[in-house]
Amino acid sequence: MSYDSLLYVALFLPLCLAAYRFAPEGWRRRVLLAAGYVFFWMLSGKLLIYLLGTTLLVHCVGIWLGWLKSEEKAAAAGVRGSERKAVKAAYQKQSRQVLMLGTAILLGILAWLKYYNFFAENMSGVLEAFHLPFTLEEKSLIMPVGISFYTLQAVGYMADVYWGKIKAETSLEKTALFLAFFPQIMEGPISRYTDVADTLFAEKPLELSNIQNGYIRILWGLFKKKIVADRLAVPVAMVFDHYTSYSGVVTAVAAVAYTVQLYMEFSGCMDIIIGSGELFGIRLPENFRQPFCAKNAAEFWRRWHITLGVWFKTYIFYPVSMSGIVKKWNQYGRKRLGRYVTMLGTSAMALLPVWLCNGLWHGARWSYIFYGLYYFTLILLGIAVQPARDRILTACRIREDSRVWRRIQITKTWVIIFVGELFFRADGFRAGLYMFRSIFEDFRIRQLWDGTLLGLGLQKSDIAAVIAGCIVAALAGMIKERGVNIRERLGESRLPVRWCAYYALILAVIIFAAYGDGYQKVDLIYAGF
Amino acid sequence: METLMNILREIDDSIDYEKEQALIDDRLLDSFGVITLVAELEDAFDISIEASEMVPENFNSAGAIYKMVCRLQEN
Amino acid sequence: MKTKKRCILFFLILAMLLGAISFGMQRAAAGMKGGITGRSRSFAAVGAEPRDTLDVLVIGDSESYTSMSPMDLWKQAGITSFDCGQPGQRIQETCFLLKEAFKTQSPKLVILETNAMFRDPGFLTNLSMSIIEPVRYYFPVFRYHNLWRQILDGNTNTGRSVFKGFEIRDKVVPYEGSDLYMKETKDIQQIPEFVLSYMENIKKLCRDNDAELLLMSAPSPHNYNYKKHNAVEKYAEENDLPYIDLNMKTQEIGIDWKTDSYDKGDHLNLRGARKVTAYMCGYLTENYSLPDHRGEEGYQEWDNLSVQFFAEVDRRNTNAKK
Repeated sequence: MSYDSLLYVALFLPLCLAAYRFAPEGWRRRVLLAAGYVFFWMLSGKLLIYLLGTTLLVHCVGIWLGWLKSEEKAAAAGVRGSERKAVKAAYQKQSRQVLMLGTAILLGILAWLKYYNFFAENMSGVLEAFHLPFTLEEKSLIMPVGISFYTLQAVGYMADVYWGKIKAETSLEKTALFLAFFPQIMEGPISRYTDVADTLFAEKPLELSNIQNGYIRILWGLFKKKIVADRLAVPVAMVFDHYTSYSGVVTAVAAVAYTVQLYMEFSGCMDIIIGSGELFGIRLPENFRQPFCAKNAAEFWRRWHITLGVWFKTYIFYPVSMSGIVKKWNQYGRKRLGRYVTMLGTSAMALLPVWLCNGLWHGARWSYIFYGLYYFTLILLGIAVQPARDRILTACRIREDSRVWRRIQITKTWVIIFVGELFFRADGFRAGLYMFRSIFEDFRIRQLWDGTLLGLGLQKSDIAAVIAGCIVAALAGMIKERGVNIRERLGESRLPVRWCAYYALILAVIIFAAYGDGYQKVDLIYAGF
Repeated sequence: METLMNILREIDDSIDYEKEQALIDDRLLDSFGVITLVAELEDAFDISIEASEMVPENFNSAGAIYKMVCRLQEN
Repeated sequence: MKTKKRCILFFLILAMLLGAISFGMQRAAAGMKGGITGRSRSFAAVGAEPRDTLDVLVIGDSESYTSMSPMDLWKQAGITSFDCGQPGQRIQETCFLLKEAFKTQSPKLVILETNAMFRDPGFLTNLSMSIIEPVRYYFPVFRYHNLWRQILDGNTNTGRSVFKGFEIRDKVVPYEGSDLYMKETKDIQQIPEFVLSYMENIKKLCRDNDAELLLMSAPSPHNYNYKKHNAVEKYAEENDLPYIDLNMKTQEIGIDWKTDSYDKGDHLNLRGARKVTAYMCGYLTENYSLPDHRGEEGYQEWDNLSVQFFAEVDRRNTNAKK
């Protein structure tokens, strides 16, 4: 049962709402928690044990860290000066060890399930190259659904308690719900405790306005996923799975189509997920902010899969850049090497782990690692050329905020994104390289309109639906980029206008969505990461 | 406070630190600006700033930065 | 109170909109005859038949429409029948297809091919099928929503000729296994619980529409065995339904697995289907009083179609001999 299925939207959600509505005082949270476990069970069955184990571990670590904190305060209260510092340091060390232990277990499980086979495969290759008589067997390991998502949330929670940003949660029920709120299970958003705690645990009564807003958001998500993304899945799979048969414009179109598919699918599902939260008055963090309006790669990542970017920034980028080595380099560099070189070095040191992790998080494949390093290189390059670029811009009297310049930057960013997603989707790094090269061979722009594209498994009607869907989504995005909340505006408009808009959305989804005769169900992409 | 102002001006002297209240939120100071700033602050005030202090509220204005420094000095 | 009224009004208007669009699409679908492809084809096709002209409906999964040839039945006994099975039909679809057919037809006999009675796609699929099928039935817009594509793409009719639900499949891929696949045993394969409850609906539907229900198992070594035979036999006995298992009568029918199988004993090909139809024709005339419509006013279409059918069959046969 995935979020875009009729079963979820038309049965599971209403049942949850009903159970929530009629639950006695103090049981609403339990209803949500039970719904989460039922949902998880339906997808992963007995592997639910992983989630339960993680919950228990995280809860205990949290309480342990909290206890150490209070002990530290008590112990430090009586003493002054250097002795006080020593006491504090001792407790800090102990806390750090507890945090490390918890993190190591969680990441260990994730690494085992997700990366063992990759490691074994490559290790065996190395062993073979040296003619060593060992081999590492590949194992058939099944990952529980959403492990990549809830593990990050769990680690983030423990780190936040360690840092003293939040108090350790004392109610196991709440910790459990934080990790198992059903809309989030399959593909995030990766929430921080402070993002969701106030509404997730509030047990607010149902409100008509929330349900209305939630379902509108869900419909909008279905619009993106079912009208555009699921149709594009067909030609994209065709080109990427048989990449040697295509070249030139067709491959380029496939890269663009995949990017659009990925966006429509992931952001569409986010709309469904966040909308599902809204039904219960629960606010989940946003994951997208018009990513195709970004002016450079760094900004793109502040607008695309935002919660993942924030997680890496908070729990990898900052800790690394505040670590001893980087600080020492900073001191040394600024004295001897000048600011520019120092800053570049610091950036490289702090960014490399972030982007390596970003690549690896998507899965154990060399092409994902390349994908991470691709953005690492581009962002570092952006930092490196900034001073020169600024000088040229001033010399040429180009204003940074001029419209033309912005257009150029956005177009450049689009190319960067498309190339990145080409490697991301390609079946392995080598296939990606082959496809990238083949774009420049046999490039005939005529193929765009001479019917070649119709050979990719889509009818004219499908292409029309995709284009129309994209135009609607782009318009909505542009309006949102101006800071207008369409749903709110609509809610304030006169009733006939409002209802017509709602009916239009509902009917568009029912009539134009890719389901029924001639269509296959398309699995969620991000649920596979 | 004077030391702090000098450090800030050294990082970027085009910003009016007396008035600005949203250094981070308006992206006047980027991540690397903050990291440089942190290194300078640690040297100048003999404090140790941890990753957990990396929140916008601590860096949005000169006043906020000063408050954080004072708090860490007391510890 | 005001909000409650508004809510009701909103959904009322929505239902009316959906109903209106559904009505239009239903009409359009009936008018397109062969233009509808995929799972909805059977629904549209049976709806497109002239009112009250069909006396026998054959329903079930692919075993059903690869075993009974309406044109042969017409030629031999003047019985008007229609194959409205779907590939891999689920029991929910069987039920609502029947309901759909009863809207415009009043058949005297419904032949249910029993293979669909053993299909169990799992709890979740069952649940969603049990929601989707009624929704599709009451709001056909959900079934025919893809019709708008044909306006843009032109008619996608693949040019396949379908003879009252029967297609000519003359490929031969012999079944190489044992002829004794129906080895006697006392074991019974369980019929899934939800199938039994849908069977109740199907029985009631037939009763309400004065149609008799006949359970039939088509010859298929791939799908049938004695355990299934026992299960259906027991079910038929308990529910006082007639049951005919053709797997037990392959000799009488004259099935030759070397020439009559379409795909290694899963489905019958044209030859096999015609043999089964000939046998069933005898069974039907013996046990039911079905009218002979040959030469009657309003049934000329059947004669025309039958000419087409047998010309095509002859053409294929001569081709095969070459």
